Formats: sequence, C-alpha cells, structure tokens
Amino acid sequence: MAFAPFPVRPVTPQERTFRIEAGQFSYTPSELSVNPGDTITIELVSTDVVHGLYVDGYDISVEADPGQTATLTFLADKPGSFRFRCNVTCGAMHPFMIGKLSVGQNEWFYRSIGLSIIATIGSIGYLMFPRLLPLITAH
Amino acid sequence: MKRSELLSRILITVAVLATVGTPLFIWARTPLIHAKIAEDGGWNPDIIKVNVGEPLHLKLTSDDVVHGFAVGQMDMQSVDVLPGKVTDITLTFDRPGIYTFFCTRWCGLNHWRMRGTIEVTGASDSPIPAEPALGEVERVPMYVTLGLDIDAPHEAPVIPSSQPSASSGRKLAANLPIDRSTDYYRANSPYQVFGELSNTSMTDSQRWDVAAYLWQSNTTAESLANGQQLYAQNCAACHGENGAGDGVFADDLAAAGESSTQTMTGADNMTMQTPVDFTDPTRMLGASPALLQGKILRGGMGTGMPMWGSIFTEEQIWDLIAYLYSFQFNYQGVTQ
Repeated sequence: MAFAPFPVRPVTPQERTFRIEAGQFSYTPSELSVNPGDTITIELVSTDVVHGLYVDGYDISVEADPGQTATLTFLADKPGSFRFRCNVTCGAMHPFMIGKLSVGQNEWFYRSIGLSIIATIGSIGYLMFPRLLPLITAH
Repeated sequence: MKRSELLSRILITVAVLATVGTPLFIWARTPLIHAKIAEDGGWNPDIIKVNVGEPLHLKLTSDDVVHGFAVGQMDMQSVDVLPGKVTDITLTFDRPGIYTFFCTRWCGLNHWRMRGTIEVTGASDSPIPAEPALGEVERVPMYVTLGLDIDAPHEAPVIPSSQPSASSGRKLAANLPIDRSTDYYRANSPYQVFGELSNTSMTDSQRWDVAAYLWQSNTTAESLANGQQLYAQNCAACHGENGAGDGVFADDLAAAGESSTQTMTGADNMTMQTPVDFTDPTRMLGASPALLQGKILRGGMGTGMPMWGSIFTEEQIWDLIAYLYSFQFNYQGVTQ
C-alpha cells in the first residue's frame, strides 16, 4: 500500500491565476490547490505594509507594496504540499504568516489512511480470531 | 629593552590603534536613526541638522516593518530601511534650506505621516555662484496666482458620452484657432475648453476630442510614464491602481473616519472620507491642472490627503497630473 502505484487521473495542465491578499499576519486565501504541470500566477496584493511570498521547495519569491500588485508566475512541476511564507519582515507575528500550496493530491495522506485501515482490520481479526493466526503463519 | 625600541613599539601601537579606532569612532558618532510606523512615533530623531556642502552620514534601521528613506525634491535613489539591518547613506546638500525626508515604502494607513526634516544651514563656499536657498525662489503656485479655491467643488455640468479621443481631436484641431500653450492648458479645465468651443459647428463629442488632444499635446510619453510610476508608488494605495478610488486603504480610510483627517474645524467640513475616483469624469473634467497642482501641493481638502509640496518637484507634479488625466482621455494612436 505504501509503495503501490497511486491511481492518477490524467489532467490537462492549465493556467491558473490566484489573487492573494496579504495583511498582517495572514494570507487570504491561505491555501492553494493546483494540479502538477499547471502554470500558476499569483497576484500578491498587500493591504497594510510591505509583504512577501516565498514558496518553499520551489525557492521563488515575490514582494508587494500596498498599491503595487506584484505577480509571480511559475510552473508547478513538483508534486506535494509546500509552505509559502512571508519573506519580508512585517511585524511581530511575521514568522507566523504562512500558507500552503498543494500540488496534486496528497498521496501520503490517502496512503496512510489505507495503511491504517489494513492495520485496523488485521488487529481486529487477530483479537477476534486468535486461532486463525497459526493457520496463516503455518506455511 | 632599549629606550628607542620601547619608543618605536609605543609609536606602532598608537598607529595601529588610530588606524582601527578612527573609522570606528566616526561610525559610532553617527547617530542611528530608528524608523517606526507613524502610529508608534515615526522617525527618531526626526530633525537632522547639517551644514551646506558637508557630507551627512546617516545610519538607518527599522524597529518594525520595512520602511524606506528618501529626501524630497532631491535627485536621489531611495534606500530601504529594514528591521534588524543598518542602512548607511551619505548625502551632501549644496543649497541651504529645510528639506523633508520621508518613508518610501508603504507601512500602513499613516505611512505618509512618517516624515522628518533636515535643516541645512550655512553658506556654500563653492566657486559656482551659490544657489538660493530652497523655498526662496520657488514660484508662487499657479492656483494662487489664478485665485483658485482648491477646496470648492469643481464638477463639470456636462460629461462626454464616450471616452474622448486625442487622435480624432488632433484632426479637428488642425484648423482651429485654439491656444495650445502650456499656460492655457494648465489654467483651464477640459470642461472650460469644451465650453469655449461652443461657438464652433462641432458636435459635443468632437469638442471633447479637441480637449483630449490639447491635454495630450501638453504632455509626453516620458512624462506620462514618470507620472505613472509616481502614481503607483505614492497614490495607488488609496486611490487605486486603476484610479477608481478603490485602493487597498480606501475601506480603512472610511472606517477610520475623522481620525484619518486633520482639519481645524472638525468633522463638519469633512466631505470626502474616501479617496477621489480619478475615473469619474464629472470631477476630473471640471478640474484644471492648476487646481490639481494646488491639491497635490497642499493636500487636505478636509480629507486625509497628504501634502506633497515638500516632496515632489514641480516637474514631478505636472507629470503626475498629466497621468491623472489619462484616466479620462484616450491617447491611443497619437504620436508626438
């Protein structure tokens, strides 16, 4: 289960534009979901002081002043979940100004659900029918 | 140890200490200027004194968010002032006077209140004839000589049905006896030009087109680009990136109400709490460049509009005004 090939629905890469408003100390919206291969454009609008947006893993960033919308365009070619964070010191709670970029499905989340279901069934089976175990392991 | 050896050892020690110590001493003597958002006190210190021609070393740091530093009416590149970092800058003033330094990175609703002064005193001893002090030779602003009341409403009673086009106005204006001088353009509103053309056989929209041409011919692509840049950096946060008065601070200004303004007569005079919409033809076509210059220079008008007179040069203000009218007129298809 952990390493089984994951069923992937084929998706056509598309261009997506997100407008993110940055204010002390959060992003609105703070979670973005895209498909791998999409071309993402983030329009960063700052509503109070100078804010930035840095995407972990992709190592790219943009900085916006209030009144000067900044755009960041990139190809979401790495699947997974990535933090994005403010990279311009914007006040006391600056380190907590974060958001999440999900590229593709969260594979490991579904894999772990699958694994825990198997483990649950197995342990219940063992608890209820302990005599079955020697039969299974006898071979 | 011989006496001469001891002496030379002492000498070398002193020389080493002096080499290392002098720059350190000079650096330590330069005061560190702290920047905070205006609500927390702005610049500290906010008054700096220097003599003409002497280099002024400044060390700047921020105590909260990203700020910037620039001196008004001076040809200089602004520098960023970052929290946890020290920015060094050296300035030399060749004219005495009181200069305004200001924050160049938006740091909240009261960003524009973050200003301080540099008092430059003394006489210049350069062989070039000393330039007169700042503020002494500045021409009296046009709105004063014209006697315009920059607080009065200036609505255009008639507005065009579609956006006036400068390119069709140019063809129409070719045979018209109109005044194309800069002074005429600055002293009149587009509506006044429209009115003066009422004795011609042109239709209303043609008359507006001529006004658009007149405005276009009094600016250049370079001025418009410069105006656009100034607008983005200084105006768009309130007036909106597209001039519609819907900048990111527009809601905050309305919510802040009285506290976002400073008038002597109190709340009664505060007619507009929201930033002006430059895409509104009624207001813009009824305003002359001289009137807008007055508003930008002085600010106020019972609103939270800052005064820019100590920051922008005259040329910058005219460029900005030319850009403001471009929200009204279609300058497409016209080459200078």
